[in-house]
Amino acid sequence: MELLYKKSDATGEELYYGTHTSGLKIFIIPKKGYSNNYAIFGTRYGSVDSEFVVPGDKTVTKVPDGIAHYLEHKMFDQPDNSNVFDKFSKYGANANAFTSFNMTAYLFSATSNIEENVETLLDYVQSPYFTDETVSKEQGIIGQEIRMYADNGGWKVFFNLLNCLYHNHPVKKEIAGTVESISKITPELLYGCYNTFYNLSNMAIVIVGDVDPQKMVQTVCHNIKKSEPFSEDIKRVYAKDEPDTVVKPYIEQKLSVSTPLFMIGYKDTDTGYTGQKLLKKSIEIKILLQMLFGKSSAVYKQLYYSGLINQNFSTDYTMQPDYAFASIEGESKNPKEVYEAIKAQIERVQSEGLSEDDYNRIKKVLWGKHIRSQNDVDEIGTEFIQLQLMGIDYFDYYDVYSKITFDDVNNRFITFFENSRSALSVVNPVE
Amino acid sequence: MNNINLIYVPMNKLKTTTVGVYIHRELNKDDVSKNAILPYILKQGSSLAKTPEEFSKYLENLYGAALKAGVVKFGNDQVLRFEAETISDKYAPCGERLTNDLVRLILSVIFEPVTQDGGFLKSVVDIEKNNLKTRILSEMNDKRTYAMHRCIEEMCAGEAYAISANGTIDGIDKFDEKSLYDYYKEAIVSSVIDIYVCGDADTDSIRALIDDTVSGIDFKPAKITATELHTSDSDVKFTVDKMDVTQGKLSMGFRTGISPSDKDYFALMVFNSVFGAGAHSKLFNNVREKLSLAYYASSALVKPKGVMVVNAGIEFLNYQKAYDETLAQLEEIKSGNISDLEYNSSIQSIVNTLTSYSDLPEQLHNFMAGEKVYGTNYDIEHLKSEILKVTKDDICRVAQGIALDTVYFLKGKVEE
Repeated sequence: MELLYKKSDATGEELYYGTHTSGLKIFIIPKKGYSNNYAIFGTRYGSVDSEFVVPGDKTVTKVPDGIAHYLEHKMFDQPDNSNVFDKFSKYGANANAFTSFNMTAYLFSATSNIEENVETLLDYVQSPYFTDETVSKEQGIIGQEIRMYADNGGWKVFFNLLNCLYHNHPVKKEIAGTVESISKITPELLYGCYNTFYNLSNMAIVIVGDVDPQKMVQTVCHNIKKSEPFSEDIKRVYAKDEPDTVVKPYIEQKLSVSTPLFMIGYKDTDTGYTGQKLLKKSIEIKILLQMLFGKSSAVYKQLYYSGLINQNFSTDYTMQPDYAFASIEGESKNPKEVYEAIKAQIERVQSEGLSEDDYNRIKKVLWGKHIRSQNDVDEIGTEFIQLQLMGIDYFDYYDVYSKITFDDVNNRFITFFENSRSALSVVNPVE
Repeated sequence: MNNINLIYVPMNKLKTTTVGVYIHRELNKDDVSKNAILPYILKQGSSLAKTPEEFSKYLENLYGAALKAGVVKFGNDQVLRFEAETISDKYAPCGERLTNDLVRLILSVIFEPVTQDGGFLKSVVDIEKNNLKTRILSEMNDKRTYAMHRCIEEMCAGEAYAISANGTIDGIDKFDEKSLYDYYKEAIVSSVIDIYVCGDADTDSIRALIDDTVSGIDFKPAKITATELHTSDSDVKFTVDKMDVTQGKLSMGFRTGISPSDKDYFALMVFNSVFGAGAHSKLFNNVREKLSLAYYASSALVKPKGVMVVNAGIEFLNYQKAYDETLAQLEEIKSGNISDLEYNSSIQSIVNTLTSYSDLPEQLHNFMAGEKVYGTNYDIEHLKSEILKVTKDDICRVAQGIALDTVYFLKGKVEE
């Protein structure tokens, strides 16, 4: 395998990378002097992928909701009955895994025995083993995980918002599925999903730490099991025409929380990009969110001083090539008033325009954030693979960032912030 | 003389410099709410950034440097804590001296608050009183942490440690902008103040900034409050709370009788790891993996109190099963049933965590502050070497001394 190299002049970060004949993309980010090493092995497969066409097939396969997450849990069962955690523990690693909307990832961090741990990581993720007995055992554990989230106000306020924003797109469904949907999961279904989405041509591995890149790549390549890359893409069947509109502007639920929690969302309808275009859009929107609602903004000051929000107030932008939304969340005794103030801020700026001073100041903030994210091996590794699986090269950041202009941000503001494409989700205390 | 200690840990491999300020106060009923509100009020205006808006713009101009204020407790020591982070000067695109500018802001926040008529601004205090009330009330939102806190509160009833670091609702009404400012003036000159700087910084210029700021202040002798171990000779206490929840939270508090300065402290850390800290532990493998009772089942130490708490999220009806299994696993260790894998993994896991602190500035100064408060002042290498000496017999001996003290269960209003 040819090993390529690049270095960012702006940040000094280095990258060694290449694609194995199996299709697996390999990335090594050396961090001189670090004690911690981090490896993350991920597939572009998440909770939204419940309907798809297996390469070579003609028909759509439909599987129960929550299966990607279920599969993640079940990857820890091994054909020889050995315990994956035991192997990692033996080499002092902290292992974990997670499933998000668009990705399933297996990871560890360790301060020693990095090669042995990389071997373990590659080995178990390439060794599916599902039986009726092991699959049914997990119903209880995941059932408790689902219940834990059902009591979590922050989680519910988020998914309720997605159900306001999206008519059809599966991003609105809970990642773990429901107790009912997971009861239909069988070993056969798990193998079907595994053989489709865990094909190495749909996966990537990122290793960050004080490692020898050549040696590390050799370790990875030696531990790749025989695998033929797909010659065509996995077709993912998402919403049949997700409309630009929201489903409804308001939703509320009662849970045992002390203060109402709220989340306001703006649906992004300018979708369908990957690569630098997607990265550019995300930087523009993150600049806008800080300019409009950040701690130095007029609306923040107004809301904080009238006691309508407290220090738990933040904004975020979630993006994928085929869907995206901005969110503003916090706690408030009157979420509807906060929502009105947010909408009024948008209208005010629509008529008065953005401030270029604010733009220049906030653009610096984004640079600081990017540099700070490179401190931590976990953070850089996770961000790198997330972007990679949506077709973005993390090392393009400086190029894209430095070319963004005030005009770009202005244009983005005009197309993105449309109050009619927004919604408010509230979790109220039970009386 | 002053009470300020500057501790610098060079971490040149990082791209940022982190500053952690720890102002140590005694945790007690009278002062807890005042201590809990002060960091938030100080952040609202100082000589260098008079309003929250100026404060935010100042940080934004430092490439979005962060300055968080909050309060934590280490045993009976309540800490007013400020944590700040900026990209290191060598990554500043225009050669700015970001670390110095950040330290200047922190010092002005701590020592030069905005005042009016001999008090803090009334408008600021009123808002922050409301925010503090919300913070106290919202402790119940995260049920997992809440159940653990309630267990400790019941267990340590009557001891200072039972008081929440966030303060009490009653306490908030007992001060106003003037009396709080009087308290602040006294507190700031009579507290141990530790400033940890991790990253790439010029300590001489930081020290000069500190000396410059505090040169006119008369400091009084200050010390860090000691913490007593939790002891009891009464029967096991049982408490049940009911809320609108779908999952039950079981929290079991144990007395260990071991303080951080005890020679068995290291063995206690390893014991805790074998018992419930990680995927190699007995609780994970039995309560979760074998019996499928929980998604999480784990144990944690409250080191200065000599307390261990087990937490699990379970079906209401599985209360007895989870309770029995937890005690059964403790009995296993007491009778010496510790596998090589459990033993080795536990040692490795602790050593791994300790080693990783050298990349993680916030965790590192939090660790160092803890060691200072406990009076042990162990450094990471010493702690690692002591952990490596712990034997299975040591773990078994420590387990023999561990006794169930308090059981807390958070359950639903409707039985399923």
